[in-house]
Amino acid sequence: MALTGRTALIAALGALLVGFLLPSWTGLLAVELTLLLAILYDLGRAAPVRKLLFTRSGDTSVRLGEPAEVRLTVTNPTGRPLRAHLRDAWPPSVWTAGSEITASRHRLTVPGGERRRLTTQLRPTRRGDHHAARVTVRSYGPLGLAARQGSHSVPWTVRVLPAFNSRKHLPSRLSRLRELDGRTSVLTRGEGTEFDSLREYIPGDDTRSIDWRATARQSTVAVRTWRPERDRRILAVLDTGRTSAGRVGDIPRLDAAMDAALLLAALSARAGDRFDLLAYDRQVRAAVQGRTAHDLLPALVTTMAPLEPALIESDARGMASTILRNAPQRSLVVLFTGLEPSPVEEGLLPVIPLLTQRHTVVVASVADPRIEEMATARGTLDAVYGAAAAARTQAERRHTASRLRRRGVTVVDATPDEIAPALADAYLALKAAGRL
Amino acid sequence: MTTAPPTPPGAAATPVSPTARQLWGRARGLLLAAAVLALAGLVIAALRSGEQHGLLDPRSADRYGSRATAELLADRGVDTTVATTVAEATQALGPDTTLLVANPDLLSARQQSALRAAAFDSGGRTVLLAPGPASLDTLAPDVRAVEPASVEVLSPGCDAPYARRAGAAELGGITYTTSASSVEACYPSGDLPTLLRLPAETGDGDTVVLGAPDLLYNHRLDDHGNASLALQLLGSRPHLVWYLPSLDDATATDGGDESFFDLIPSGWRWGALQLAIAAVLAALWRARRLGPLVPERLPVAVPASEATEGRARLYRQANARERAAEALRSAARARIAPLAGVPTAQAHRSEALCPAVAARTGDDGIQIHGLLFGPAPADDEALVRLADRLDLLERRITPSPRDKDRTP
Repeated sequence: MALTGRTALIAALGALLVGFLLPSWTGLLAVELTLLLAILYDLGRAAPVRKLLFTRSGDTSVRLGEPAEVRLTVTNPTGRPLRAHLRDAWPPSVWTAGSEITASRHRLTVPGGERRRLTTQLRPTRRGDHHAARVTVRSYGPLGLAARQGSHSVPWTVRVLPAFNSRKHLPSRLSRLRELDGRTSVLTRGEGTEFDSLREYIPGDDTRSIDWRATARQSTVAVRTWRPERDRRILAVLDTGRTSAGRVGDIPRLDAAMDAALLLAALSARAGDRFDLLAYDRQVRAAVQGRTAHDLLPALVTTMAPLEPALIESDARGMASTILRNAPQRSLVVLFTGLEPSPVEEGLLPVIPLLTQRHTVVVASVADPRIEEMATARGTLDAVYGAAAAARTQAERRHTASRLRRRGVTVVDATPDEIAPALADAYLALKAAGRL
Repeated sequence: MTTAPPTPPGAAATPVSPTARQLWGRARGLLLAAAVLALAGLVIAALRSGEQHGLLDPRSADRYGSRATAELLADRGVDTTVATTVAEATQALGPDTTLLVANPDLLSARQQSALRAAAFDSGGRTVLLAPGPASLDTLAPDVRAVEPASVEVLSPGCDAPYARRAGAAELGGITYTTSASSVEACYPSGDLPTLLRLPAETGDGDTVVLGAPDLLYNHRLDDHGNASLALQLLGSRPHLVWYLPSLDDATATDGGDESFFDLIPSGWRWGALQLAIAAVLAALWRARRLGPLVPERLPVAVPASEATEGRARLYRQANARERAAEALRSAARARIAPLAGVPTAQAHRSEALCPAVAARTGDDGIQIHGLLFGPAPADDEALVRLADRLDLLERRITPSPRDKDRTP
């Protein structure tokens, strides 16, 4: 049950009646009893909340940063008309800050035996699964003095997928991939490049690529063409340990890593490679394996959506053995992890030889633009000390990266905006060099 | 896919508000606890309210009441009128009346002077129980309170007939002196009396000042000569007005002006009560929330640069100029070395880097050495300057686009 402002207003007006006409217990009781009777009448006439029926429909998944619509159908099976305020409650992070009240509150009138549909606009600010909390209805009586109030649980889940902002880099990388395709061996001749076809010699082709045996069989000079290797395997490993929880800009490192992984997946699917994903800290948090190019991206985003960084130290040894188990053939292993000196030296460095023995390893690390900002700050004493500390951090990262490179690992260290294209470029370079 | 898909849309909607039965079940315990608490409060109040209840009240049969005195006086034909306001007390006064003021210090100056005037006019007897300086000035201007004394059995110590007849009685409390003549000063505690009888200058009225009211208490009355003294002092006239000062006496306030509330219509109290009810209703209206708050598990927000910023603050706190300068110089050397054509491996070797840089910029080699490998800056200002000079050197050695154009 709930009261309205009208009740309080009438009670306040009653003060005039009591004060001037009937200044006694009688006057007071007369006003109060009338008001009480009116409230009871209103409560009795209001449509019951418990009997209302609810169903939901609408979006079940939405990309981060885009609006979603969830529809709520309210059926009033009783004979009494429903005049109500309704709140469709969701966790705070499905609204943009400040719009919770207006977005979740609805005013509705449903005549007896009819139904109405409401639309709640969500605008999630956080990746993951968001569950609807409850629907609260305040059903007013005909006088508008009092209301019955009650809640219903109407379950619905909206999965908020990673934004995949780096997809804007995809067209340029795809055109680079096409350039790679069909190139003669002049530029890309390497141990792994695959033979594609024979074609007629055009002046300017490398004479070393003339296939003499084929030339002997036909009347024109034939040259061999090459194409980048296809059907290679790529295993992206997201480290979801504590280093991935640190925020760069206003997103966690993990989100930047996911963005880069998605671009790499989209690119490699077009290039005809097989892309698998593994999320690991001390156990396997998520895995996507054996998907065809067609349904790879949807599978990846739905898998990544509920993934959150865990505040524990990652187990590099366990990660290495899981990788070896999951990738029995030669693969490109892309490790999304931090370049902080102590976790890398204690965890990753000792197990790197296990991986490089069989696989090509890329370590992709998200650098913090704030550190770069600090390193260039000057003018005040605080800024200079900050610059010194930042220079020290950068030197440590560089040192760690160089130690990894010395063990045959390709290191990509870039800020969140640049990591996705930088990783795509590294992949294309490896592909061009036939090192997959 | 290994994770579960989103929950299927349209799962059953269920009401989650508690029913009346659930509400009762939930509130039952609390209501019981509140009832127990209220009951306990009542019981404790009933048990503990006692001792001083009805102090000196002629209707009270408690230990500290005075009903026994009133009964004894009634047996002797003295009728007792209880007054709680000055108006009642003065109205009941007459020449054959005794006025007993139970606690004169509680009276305001206005009440005291009204009482004094009425008692003076009536020509009866006025008995003041333990008056202090606050009331003596008006009610008995000739008497002055000297000091507190313990209440004990005192001997009469004077020739007054009532004192001689009563003998020893429990008195004390306050000792008095007086400047009036023809005073009966009895029951001295030490040198000073605790009972004074001052005859009025005209007529046969008089004023009796008692230092302590103990002899009137029910449980003390039959000790020593208490009862005798009380009956003689209070029973000298056929009527007794027993004045117990109380708070609902309108004349208590000294100010004679009418207050704001006297000037507005008398119904305002009821109107205000109704307004208070309206305020409660408004509070109920505003307090009711449309459904509970929704909790959410939020991820921790740790800035990735936190450790670096912490290190910067530590440098600052420890004034680690040497370390900071070394970090800045080392970073500058690493950047400058490739520009000066020195292999990265030799970037931190003075003999390799300094001549190369000097050759590029045309500066003095010693100066370059001092900048890139010199001692730690002496003060904070020097550190800030060092950072700027390193930047300047780096800018000078960086080939600008214009330089490239000039040197084909």
